Amino acid sequence: MKRKVLIVLLALVVLTSPLFAGGGAEKATKKTVTYWSMWNEAEPQGLVIANAAAAFEKETGITVDIVFNGREIRKTLQPALESGEKIDLFDEDISRVNSVWSKYLLPLEDFAKKSYPTTSGKAYVDSVSTALIDLARAEGGGTLKVAPYQPFAFVAMYNKDLFAKAGITTTPKTWTEFEAVCAKLVAAGITPITVDDAYMAAFFGYNLSRMIGYDRTLAMADNNDFKDPAVREFGQIWSDFAKKGYISRKAASNIYPAGQIEEIAAGKVAMYLNGTWLPNEIKGNAPNMNWGAFAWPTIKAEGVGIEANNYGAQCFAINANSTVAEEAFQFIVYMTTGKWDGELAKESLGVPMGKDSEWPKETAEAKTIIDNTTKWMTWAVGMENVADVNAKIKENFSRLILGNLDADGFYAAMNK
Amino acid sequence: MKKNRLMIVLFLTPALLCYLLVFLYPSVRTTVMSFFKVESVSDPISSWTFNGLENYRTLWATSIFKQSMKNIARIWFAGGLGVMIVALFFAVSLTNGMKGVKFFRSVIYLPNVVSAIAMGTMWINYVYNSSYGLLHNIFATLRLAVLSETLWTGPDNLFWSMLVAYCFGMVGYHMLIFMASIEQIPRDYTEAALIEGANAFQRFYKITLPFLRGCFRTNLVMWTVFTVGFFVWAQLFSPVNLSNATVAPMNYMYELVFGSSASTGTMRNSGAGAAIGVIMMVIVIIAFALTNLIVRSDDVEL
Repeated sequence: MKRKVLIVLLALVVLTSPLFAGGGAEKATKKTVTYWSMWNEAEPQGLVIANAAAAFEKETGITVDIVFNGREIRKTLQPALESGEKIDLFDEDISRVNSVWSKYLLPLEDFAKKSYPTTSGKAYVDSVSTALIDLARAEGGGTLKVAPYQPFAFVAMYNKDLFAKAGITTTPKTWTEFEAVCAKLVAAGITPITVDDAYMAAFFGYNLSRMIGYDRTLAMADNNDFKDPAVREFGQIWSDFAKKGYISRKAASNIYPAGQIEEIAAGKVAMYLNGTWLPNEIKGNAPNMNWGAFAWPTIKAEGVGIEANNYGAQCFAINANSTVAEEAFQFIVYMTTGKWDGELAKESLGVPMGKDSEWPKETAEAKTIIDNTTKWMTWAVGMENVADVNAKIKENFSRLILGNLDADGFYAAMNK
Repeated sequence: MKKNRLMIVLFLTPALLCYLLVFLYPSVRTTVMSFFKVESVSDPISSWTFNGLENYRTLWATSIFKQSMKNIARIWFAGGLGVMIVALFFAVSLTNGMKGVKFFRSVIYLPNVVSAIAMGTMWINYVYNSSYGLLHNIFATLRLAVLSETLWTGPDNLFWSMLVAYCFGMVGYHMLIFMASIEQIPRDYTEAALIEGANAFQRFYKITLPFLRGCFRTNLVMWTVFTVGFFVWAQLFSPVNLSNATVAPMNYMYELVFGSSASTGTMRNSGAGAAIGVIMMVIVIIAFALTNLIVRSDDVEL
């Protein structure tokens, strides 16, 4: 009998021991933030974020469970959110997140007013780029619903060594100077500029905004109406430039990323109206490229100037249904300020978010452009918003470069 | 007999349920969705707004959609003609008792095994590249300056370059179907024709071709299905945003449903995307019915 009682007691002890163990209590309080990432595990951003999450867990005890979706996230996220899957944190482009997934976003103003260990005693909003926070608020309808990071600006990226070889000492501030730069480059045997099919519509939109202003250009794209005489003038300018050899003939057949790899990275072409992400995209092909950046000059007096640029960012957003929103925001702060903000910029040759973070030398010249930008322009000045418009620009601009269309032909084709 | 019926029901029910679940339900849902204004494909039905035929009207008024229909019509006709002729030529040659049949069959079929992404990259970078591509080098060696400087992926040649690359990979698939049918033709006919003194062309036109009617029907239906589903090659030849020269309906549908990968300002329209799906489904059904009507498999009995 005694033996039976002993066995029962022992069994009870074994079964109930986890309830009293320290590990059980720790497990109950340990929080996990589930983060659906727009990056791939192997790309620089993915690697840095994974390392940051590990360091964050070490410092705070909060686990960040990362699900790397890559760019497929724009297909996978919404069904997952709708089906109630546990997703606390996700990221994508600042405009897409605010427009497409707005109903899932938790307002972040209250979190952003507080200071955190990496914000040097300042409120979070005061320690990161004011321009980007303003943009995030504007995109969120006046409220901060996302935390921007990995900022970018659409600027002319150029090869400093090729400029030096052609005897060019300063970047062009006016259209006359730009033409002079092109002439010097051609005289030195260097093709001044190229473009890939992916960026032709943005190229067209940017040039038109520099000729007739932002609003008129945007209206043209929105209404798919290209009857403005400026379209013919654009055709004339670039038809002449093509004849002078200022734009690569290959640009007419460049399937992305051919132009940026075979012409820019190969050191054959000096300039590309692209973005601050370009050095990262082609660093494997041009690891020692001496990068510079300048804002696209004004072409005509009615156009906007170097103060008007497209800039944006990727952004973090917290699911409105998250039960660990505070912890998720702590991770956002950890990623977008201090050490890891700098690390992300350094590894991706990008732009840091924190005001105190150091810019990599590849994008250092873009800092001045962003600092001096007073007017935000939407991506491609709207020329990529409608597939019809984008396709029409690509086809006709390619023909213009090749000389298959003159200015009048270009104008007629754009209005067909 | 009773037992047999029970067995049939038992074995067919799971398959029937699977069919209803994974094919019929999405088809019906897509058809219904095409008459509604729907932003995201996963939006709940309660948020759909009835739109009548507006999605279809919008599509027919959109030039890039019309261009995409023209493109698949050209792929179907020009590509189909080219692929069938070349596939039939290879099939007849390889079933003629020549040496190294296994080797040549494998070589011709090989592009089907290789991923389309790898094939596309190869064509764009190593065949069509205007600086170091195969065509550039061959024509430069032959001192044909105009041809060696041709921009094969330029606006005038992009569609045809894509079509050639696509068809190159499809020849092997259709060749195997032709070969399988040719091997089914009783040898007695060929031997009798040989004794009668028929030459190779006569044997081909009088014996082989008539026996291949059913096979032509299969190949035609398969080619139509592949053409309607044309997507990957257009993505490869215009990887970031749509081009008039390469766009196919499926690419436009993809952009409407999931938005543009480049521009975040593109509005999604899953209702119009569903309408494209329905149009494509109707095309396949019509093509199948017409093929059955025109090419009767029982015209020739083996």
